[in-house]
Amino acid sequence: MMKLFQKLGRMPIGLTIPAFAILLVVFGIPIVLLFLASINAPAFSATNYLGFFAQTANVRVLFQTIEVSVVATSICLIVGYPTAYLIVAASKSVRITLIALVIIPYLTSGLARTYAWIVILGDRGVINNLLLQLGVIHSPLQLIYNTMAVYIGMVHIMLPVMILPLVSAMMGIDRSLTAAARSMGARPLTAFWRVFFPLSLPGVRAGSLLVFVFCLGFYITPAALGGLRDAMLSTFIAAQVKNSFDISRIATSAFILLAIAVAVLFLLGLDLASAQGRTATTAWKSWVVRISKLDMLKRYFSRFSDSYRAKLWTTQLYQAGDDSRLSNIVGTMFVLLVMVYLHSPGLIVIIMSFSSGTFLEFPPSSISLQWYQTFFGDPSWRGAAWTSIQIGVAVAILSTIVGTLAAYGLNRTHPRLRSFLTMTILTPVTIPVIVVAIASYYGLVNLGLIGSRTGIVLAQSTGATGIVVVIVSATLANFDRTLERAAKSMRAGPLQTFWRVTLPLIRPGVIGGAVFAFLHSFDEVVITNLVSGYSIRTLPLKMWENIRNQIDPTIAAVSSLLMLVPVLWLIILYLTWWRSRLRDHRSRPELET
Amino acid sequence: MNVNTSVSVSEVDALQSGPVYAQIEFRNVTKTYGKVTAVEDLSLTVSRGEFLTILGPSGSGKTTTLMLLAGFEAPTAGDIFIAGRSVAAVPSYRRDQGIVFQNYALFPHLTVIRNLEFPLQMRGINAAERTRRVRRMLERVHLSDLGGRMPSQLSGGQQQRVALARAMIADPPFLLLDEPLGALDRGLREQMQIEMKSLHKEFGITTVCVTHDQEEALTLSDRIIVMRAGRIEQADSPEALYDRPATSFVARFLGEANMLENPDFQFKSDTPQASGTVAMIRPERICILALDAQKRGDADQRQSVNGTVEDMIYAGPLRKYHVRVGNSFFIVREHVASGQQIFRPGDEVCLDWLRSDVRFVAV
Repeated sequence: MMKLFQKLGRMPIGLTIPAFAILLVVFGIPIVLLFLASINAPAFSATNYLGFFAQTANVRVLFQTIEVSVVATSICLIVGYPTAYLIVAASKSVRITLIALVIIPYLTSGLARTYAWIVILGDRGVINNLLLQLGVIHSPLQLIYNTMAVYIGMVHIMLPVMILPLVSAMMGIDRSLTAAARSMGARPLTAFWRVFFPLSLPGVRAGSLLVFVFCLGFYITPAALGGLRDAMLSTFIAAQVKNSFDISRIATSAFILLAIAVAVLFLLGLDLASAQGRTATTAWKSWVVRISKLDMLKRYFSRFSDSYRAKLWTTQLYQAGDDSRLSNIVGTMFVLLVMVYLHSPGLIVIIMSFSSGTFLEFPPSSISLQWYQTFFGDPSWRGAAWTSIQIGVAVAILSTIVGTLAAYGLNRTHPRLRSFLTMTILTPVTIPVIVVAIASYYGLVNLGLIGSRTGIVLAQSTGATGIVVVIVSATLANFDRTLERAAKSMRAGPLQTFWRVTLPLIRPGVIGGAVFAFLHSFDEVVITNLVSGYSIRTLPLKMWENIRNQIDPTIAAVSSLLMLVPVLWLIILYLTWWRSRLRDHRSRPELET
Repeated sequence: MNVNTSVSVSEVDALQSGPVYAQIEFRNVTKTYGKVTAVEDLSLTVSRGEFLTILGPSGSGKTTTLMLLAGFEAPTAGDIFIAGRSVAAVPSYRRDQGIVFQNYALFPHLTVIRNLEFPLQMRGINAAERTRRVRRMLERVHLSDLGGRMPSQLSGGQQQRVALARAMIADPPFLLLDEPLGALDRGLREQMQIEMKSLHKEFGITTVCVTHDQEEALTLSDRIIVMRAGRIEQADSPEALYDRPATSFVARFLGEANMLENPDFQFKSDTPQASGTVAMIRPERICILALDAQKRGDADQRQSVNGTVEDMIYAGPLRKYHVRVGNSFFIVREHVASGQQIFRPGDEVCLDWLRSDVRFVAV
């Protein structure tokens, strides 16, 4: 055993083996087999692809998918850019609050948030009820099950995904540059366009790519809020899997979706990169790094206690002249509106979950806990929640161990090989989730693990491992390797060094990774839906079924509980990271004594 | 010491009869990274109790030499012997050594006491003995009150002392210092130099120090090795290196030097100038005088030339003159004293030096 570890210690790349083994078995091999199936290997023909495009219905769905993704991404960018700008320009305490307000919905179950829109936009929903009561209308307006509702719901879910990378990029811009431009005679707007905006482009690119790819593979919101005509390609693929398992047709649809994603990733990455004189590989790498939403998260947390660079310049930024007060008011109103849009649906659901009647009401005429009682009293809900927790914990443990080892190994690997391997490990979180779902489904069929907890854990772990790798790698990047040398010079072996020096110092990253792995699993619907084979009901699956079939008010209670989860996790994470920072900053003044 | 003596035996020695300090030997050591040769055919012996400094500009191979000695890198060719035992294939954590790292590498998650305990724990020393040794060591480096602090709560000088204490606490047979004072500001650095010198005198531990700071090297070392491009340029005592540099590289690297290629006057020297050498004289060995001034000493042993002052730089205790003599430039350094004649740019002056202060060094 010792020998093995010592050998692995000398060959750090060996530490990535467990992660790659899981990835390969659950995702890698199946996706290759699927590709072969889609081109009719070994005969090799394009008949499946030709067949796909021959059916006008398919082409229509494909175009609709692209259209919805492009429009949703554009709306997110138009709303997100000014929001991010205003967040970054705000004073420190306001900025921290606003960032937390963006992160909370980001970490909240997408299902719960989609459900909130059903409650608000439905025929007997909050808006229609209000309008009916006020006598403005006499019959309910058709607000839901149309394209409009799809956009409202999707932008609501994707907006934080856009804002966070933008804020991250903008925080990195030295404001003295804008001030310098001004000192050279550029007017505020010119300074913005010539200096600030170009520097914020990496954030724009990262945010847009993330949102676009998420949209491509997303089907929960369109399926729940859209009409029959608003089907996305992912809905279509999932339906095919459930109804007729024609492997080559499914594979074909999946690869068409994947091709679009890769093409956009590459085009957008390449284009902007070449404009800045960088190579395509750097673009890819920065994309891979940026996708690490969690890496960004971590940076926000560390910035909580940092004073923002060149703060003086920020205040100067607002001394635009006489209209500064007006622009301040407009800015505040805008941010306020965005925050209301992000948070009111959740708050409305939480309030409604305390309704006492047989239906949900807003505002509730009297308070009761009946829907919570139903939730905790119903064995099927309780069972689903328990299953989700068990699977979530298993996924967190597995992917944290495997991912930490891999991150440690990658950290010690040659940079070029490292970026390639990191990219590979992150595939399950960088491509449309429906493609991952199909591959995992196929992989688990081959292993005979469909409908088993082991299968679900394995399928969810591919993505969760990627998340852990990103977070732990970010932590390791700041880790001073001289400390390991120091330990070794004092006769600590590789294992002792890792255990006593490295691990304690990267612990915040490891805990963060575990938390996000759990959240990833706890909220996962698309993959789980396919690989659960009807026999296992996780909480999101049961909710999803309920949302589609009968609107059971219990969901309001479940959603409210789910919204609490990320807040709790955030507090835990904040305490961990905050504590580790505190250690570094504690009692400086004592030095003077 | 027996060639086959294992580390554990030497450790027992150390515990019973006080530490046994080791002799270190590099035998034809070469280290290459791909096509780059960092250290080439290095042979070197550090005797017991010696304080040896490896000095060189960045890229000269001095850090690689330290890495090889510490066991973080293995030599491509050749062998290293510590106390007569070949260690080329022994990983760092199986060796017995104390290292002070450039930025100290104090474990940020452990208190000062726990940092000091670490090397003792790794050697399996029991808790009572550990506590005793830590307390003694803290007293010795005047940090007894700060044992419970985290490294980040210490000042630079205190961190430096903890790093030194941690390196010494397990009584290693030799000590490695990697730019030990580089992170300190000037005043503190001088104080620490004195402290380290006295610690070395007290313990008599074999010490190898790597630095690019010539002042540190001159102050601390018994012997200095000047490295250049992976090879030893010259190895000698500080005085000998400064007074009798073998090459122009060494002359320039240690202190300031006037290198005079083809001056349009003849150097009067006791030894004839060999081909491929250049005349070198230190700026502080030259006297700057008014043309009509009385020359001191025996005229036979001195040489004088006349020149024009081009610039004068006042630097506190020193005054620095740039003087043109025909087609060559001299830098002259003079200690500021009261009643001294001060020359201005344009003044005609006489430069005067002892013939034995001129050295011919390889180009």
